[in-house]
Amino acid sequence: MTAISVNRKTYEINATEDTPLLWVLRDELGLTGTKFGCGIAQCGVCTVHVDGMAVRSCQMPVGTVGERAITTIEGVGETSAGARVQKAWLDLEVVQCGYCQPGQIMSAAALLAANPDPDDEAIDAAMAGNLCRCGTYVRIRQGIKHAARS
Amino acid sequence: MKRKVILSLAAGAAVLGAAALGLTGWMVFQPGPYAFATGKPIPLSAYHGPSPTGVPAELASAAPAARGAYVAAMADCQACHTAPGGKPFAGGRAFVLPFGTIYTPNLTPDPETGIGKWTDAQFLNAVHRGIAPDGSHYYPAFPYPSYTRLSDEDVLAIKAHLFALPPVKQANRPNTFGFPYNQRWLMAIWSALFNPNERFRPVPEQSPEWNRGAYLVEAAGHCGECHTPRNLMQALDQRAKFGGGVAEGWTAYNISSDKISGIGDWSAQELASYLSSGHAHGRGVASGPMGEAVELSLSHLTKADIGAIVTYLRSVPSVKGDLPALAGPAPATPKLARIDNPVGKRIFEGNCASCHAWTGAGAAREEAQLTGVRAVNDPGGANVALMILHGSGGPTPHRPYMPDFGKVYSNDEIAAVTNYVTARFGTEPSQLTADDIARLRAAN
Repeated sequence: MTAISVNRKTYEINATEDTPLLWVLRDELGLTGTKFGCGIAQCGVCTVHVDGMAVRSCQMPVGTVGERAITTIEGVGETSAGARVQKAWLDLEVVQCGYCQPGQIMSAAALLAANPDPDDEAIDAAMAGNLCRCGTYVRIRQGIKHAARS
Repeated sequence: MKRKVILSLAAGAAVLGAAALGLTGWMVFQPGPYAFATGKPIPLSAYHGPSPTGVPAELASAAPAARGAYVAAMADCQACHTAPGGKPFAGGRAFVLPFGTIYTPNLTPDPETGIGKWTDAQFLNAVHRGIAPDGSHYYPAFPYPSYTRLSDEDVLAIKAHLFALPPVKQANRPNTFGFPYNQRWLMAIWSALFNPNERFRPVPEQSPEWNRGAYLVEAAGHCGECHTPRNLMQALDQRAKFGGGVAEGWTAYNISSDKISGIGDWSAQELASYLSSGHAHGRGVASGPMGEAVELSLSHLTKADIGAIVTYLRSVPSVKGDLPALAGPAPATPKLARIDNPVGKRIFEGNCASCHAWTGAGAAREEAQLTGVRAVNDPGGANVALMILHGSGGPTPHRPYMPDFGKVYSNDEIAAVTNYVTARFGTEPSQLTADDIARLRAAN
């Protein structure tokens, strides 16, 4: 039995140490807002925060989390940056099909927490690992700038 | 007039001859590998401290097989004497050298293709003096100038370990050296000049731990074979001891106590962690030949032996290098406009950023940190390119690892992403070209 902290709650989990964090979040804790995409850290849809850093949860064994705080899309609205990003996403209707958006929002919130006023370059760099097959990139960039100003 | 010409020619020849002699003498008459230490080395038999040779105290009463395996791990025979994907110790691993390719021989006890018929005396002669049972000389790719310091007991413990292995029938491959390098008899001269042919001599003025470390580093571990530069005659240049060298295309970094190029600002704990597990927090990951040394040798050593190695390493004097100081963490607002490298940027964003994080801080696991790591802060760029080509760390059960990208990207692309990574996260960018990558592929 290991304990992990997700969205400021501590959970005892039964999964073995090598289980990807994503499986634990979705199957054991029922936090299905974080999505499965490629499973090899290439698409970014499974992004969560580990002590504030954007991490692909499909590639992170739960045994390596330790005492670090996990934040998922279900909890990111509790943070200042996360709340502003979510509001901007609604204001600008960034989402199209929506499947990648939990990952986009998590990466955007991590960026704003580290860099309150990112320019285009910084946005491109930080969001590079998050794919959107609908092609909402232009609105994502506008959304981040909108959130930064709010 | 004629006489004058002859005289001046003779004088010129004499000057040249004297210069050549002087240069050879400079290369031959070098300090020993631990001549830097205060004190006078004495024969092992005259030393009264705890024995610096053999297995550590906790294994003293272990079965002979366990002791033999430990000594064989200390000397790391397996790394070179195993071909990729081949049977352990059966040889066949290629070393691509400027003069041709050499293949390591089979060390399993098969009587025909291995060393099954060798006597103790023949094995000692091979390891201490570089002479095969048929009297021919080995090339110093086999590090017998280091192994010569191993005690007879330790060499024979290695032999006992090898003879307990399952025999593998695998014929040795001849090397592809051209003239004059295929003249093995020349190695007799090289050996006479550069193999001290003497067993380890402890230094009583130094601590027992230091002496054990010296034995592990100089006799068994043969660290200098990669980390000390070589002179014109391919012998180790002990005047620049641990100043850095090259191993199969990889840069074997300066491990002297120089604070910038070397390991002078590593703590003892960092060194111990790196040596025993291949990683220390913020210090990167042992990859390539060093990764093998950790996997097959250092990770099997006891904590006390790793501590002894650290004690010894930290006593090695500083050799100045030309590597830049490590750049700190990447800024939150990266100045990307100055990096005109769209191909490298595209590949980094698509393949690297998810695990290494766009800040280079490392996301999937802490070993993935790029900032502050020596390989990334090396404008030579070879080790970054080789890690991209071959991956790093190898498949670790149940943990993410760095996969190899050599098969999916062209030389141009590998060069571009290497130059991008060093530009973005290091002190100075590398300037590798497709030709450089082709050379690195061939070297490994």
